[in-house]
Amino acid sequence: MAEKSEYVPNVYPGKDEISERRRRLWDKNRSLLKYRNIAEDDITELLSHRSVRSAYVSVHPPLEEIIEPYDPIKHIVVPTAGARAGDRIRFIQFSDSFHKPPIAPFGRARLYLARFRGVDTVVYSGRELLEMRERDLEKATKTLLETEIFNPALDALKGITVHGHSLRLDEDGLMFDARRRYIYDRETGQVVYIKDQMGNVLDNPIPLGPPMPEDEVKKLCITYSWDTQPYKARTELFEVMTRAAKLRVMGGFNPESINEKM
Amino acid sequence: MKYKDKIDIYNDLSKCVAKDVPIEALSPVYNPYMGKILDLFKRTAFINLPKLQNCIKEGKAGWETSTGQDECKMPWYGKDLPIMDHAEEIANGIRDRIKVGGEDGEDIVKLIEDTIVVKMPKKVMEIAASRDPVYTWVMVSLAQTVAEVFGIDPIKDLNTTNMIKAVIFGRYPQSTTFSPGAPVSSFLKPSNTIDGLGCGYSGITVNHIVALANKRTMDGLALASILEQAAQWEMGNSIGWYERYNLLGYAYEGYNANNMTLDLVKENRSGTVADIVYSTIKRALDDGVIKVKSKAASGYRFYATNDFPMYNAYELSGTTAGVILNSGAMRAGQAASAAIAYTHDLFLYETGGLPDADTGRMQGAGIGFAFYTHSIYGGAGPGAYTFDHVILRGSGFIQPLIVAGMCLDSGTQLFSPEMTSGAFFKIRETFPIFQDVLQKVGESAEEIKNDLKG
Repeated sequence: MAEKSEYVPNVYPGKDEISERRRRLWDKNRSLLKYRNIAEDDITELLSHRSVRSAYVSVHPPLEEIIEPYDPIKHIVVPTAGARAGDRIRFIQFSDSFHKPPIAPFGRARLYLARFRGVDTVVYSGRELLEMRERDLEKATKTLLETEIFNPALDALKGITVHGHSLRLDEDGLMFDARRRYIYDRETGQVVYIKDQMGNVLDNPIPLGPPMPEDEVKKLCITYSWDTQPYKARTELFEVMTRAAKLRVMGGFNPESINEKM
Repeated sequence: MKYKDKIDIYNDLSKCVAKDVPIEALSPVYNPYMGKILDLFKRTAFINLPKLQNCIKEGKAGWETSTGQDECKMPWYGKDLPIMDHAEEIANGIRDRIKVGGEDGEDIVKLIEDTIVVKMPKKVMEIAASRDPVYTWVMVSLAQTVAEVFGIDPIKDLNTTNMIKAVIFGRYPQSTTFSPGAPVSSFLKPSNTIDGLGCGYSGITVNHIVALANKRTMDGLALASILEQAAQWEMGNSIGWYERYNLLGYAYEGYNANNMTLDLVKENRSGTVADIVYSTIKRALDDGVIKVKSKAASGYRFYATNDFPMYNAYELSGTTAGVILNSGAMRAGQAASAAIAYTHDLFLYETGGLPDADTGRMQGAGIGFAFYTHSIYGGAGPGAYTFDHVILRGSGFIQPLIVAGMCLDSGTQLFSPEMTSGAFFKIRETFPIFQDVLQKVGESAEEIKNDLKG
């Protein structure tokens, strides 16, 4: 019974810095560090789903006006602002480089499900899709672009043509983009988006801040590697993974065979 | 009883409808209500008369996709037969042809608005090796009746005779499948198109179930669970080692056992999916289903269980709550796959490697489902999938959750239940058995709980 008050979410195993960083990103009670400010209009332009300051297009009438068949569940779950207004469902897609990224696709899924409501996400090898109601998406995008999980050089908005996350960085340290959506402005030292996520040329280029310096990149890196946290740092994680693999196999073979010693 | 587990069943208003029922009372083998639902699904055929009339008139037959229904159009062979005006006569003709002596008094043919609903006699189904008489008997008797009512024969009118056959049977037997959306249909697919042993009850489209439950989430969950559970039983996936695992799993996922799913949803009604995972694990810990096994150097706790089938049921309940919360917040069915796939990732890392629901199969099937519903490898909206689709069949617990997600959709889908399954909303009104499914499963379990012998 003493356990009742003792439960605190584990979130993630590991004692090293990388594990600690993962734990922080996926714990919604811990805030993400803010690195830059991006205007809401710029976010609307980058997403390219609607014209700046135009009204939200709706896919169905506001929830209060729809007559739906009776279902008590619909009165329990609180809908998001976008769902309540009947917004269209729109998307943002990020690609994260292999080279010391501040977040990676698998981590995005966990972060999205921990921090946002009403999310539809799909994880791929080098990109991550996030679909939400339009106004919810714009709000979430602000968090995703302004905080520590976005390094303008190593993470990119790539609505289409995502190829490039596993390629070498270019001479300015930027992740490859076949559509050249962003360039490094040597005069200002900033990464500037000259195209929106769909590759349409923007009327006014949008700067998203300078690439992070190498020591910052190392500090914010989410992946284990020889020059961040080496192999042995992952002891607890390996224990979880090997145990999970073994128990999944045994549980699939005979669910009754699992016992507390395993 | 074989198993000691007893549960309470709550309806979607959190009212207890069955107290201390043994889990066997929720087996399709014992639960009488489930038996009735399955019997109805197996024995019922529908004849869409306006469609029949229209197809014969326009010479439309043998199409192969539901969106390309005018693929083969031969109006020069068409004939304008006033089928709708003779609906009663056609219904009587079919009744005369398929009734067998000594029926138990139930009316096997009913004309409901413009649809003839045929419930095949039990005796015919008993002597059949498959459930195909639902198609064969109904189709042949319909063809004969139409020919007789309108006096058509091959000497007088060869083209119309051929067209009647083509409209009713499509390209069969040159093609093994009937045309999707053909005038004669049934709940289940014809047996020659079922891919895999025991997948019969698993061949139903998600949106059909959503329509049959009239988009009431917990009823949709319960109805989908009855069907998928029956399929799992037929596949042999619930024998011996897997019986308690499946009984508990469906009880917590589909029938709101101990009100756990609803409790989790209520507790986190404005929370996130990760909150649901934490609440589920806390509850498992409080109920003694899992316990702390060891603590690592970082303070990370490894959990262990002696009762994995029960913990699996808790996880399934948590996943159900996660899907309800995620799709409910977004009010969109497409978000179900994200919750199905990645809730289990959270469960796995939260417990230190205790297997996630259905030992990883849910996560695997969920990720595949996400790919195929997000235009990555093509595919369609979640509502257009059948339960036995190659993407979904990896786990028997994934289908009810997709139904729950689609019930909560407020009109964002191209493949909406209204578009793909309009007729099933009407069928629900015709058969009162489809109303308050969850409540009826519970009441039925309550009725038999004292008569069960293990």
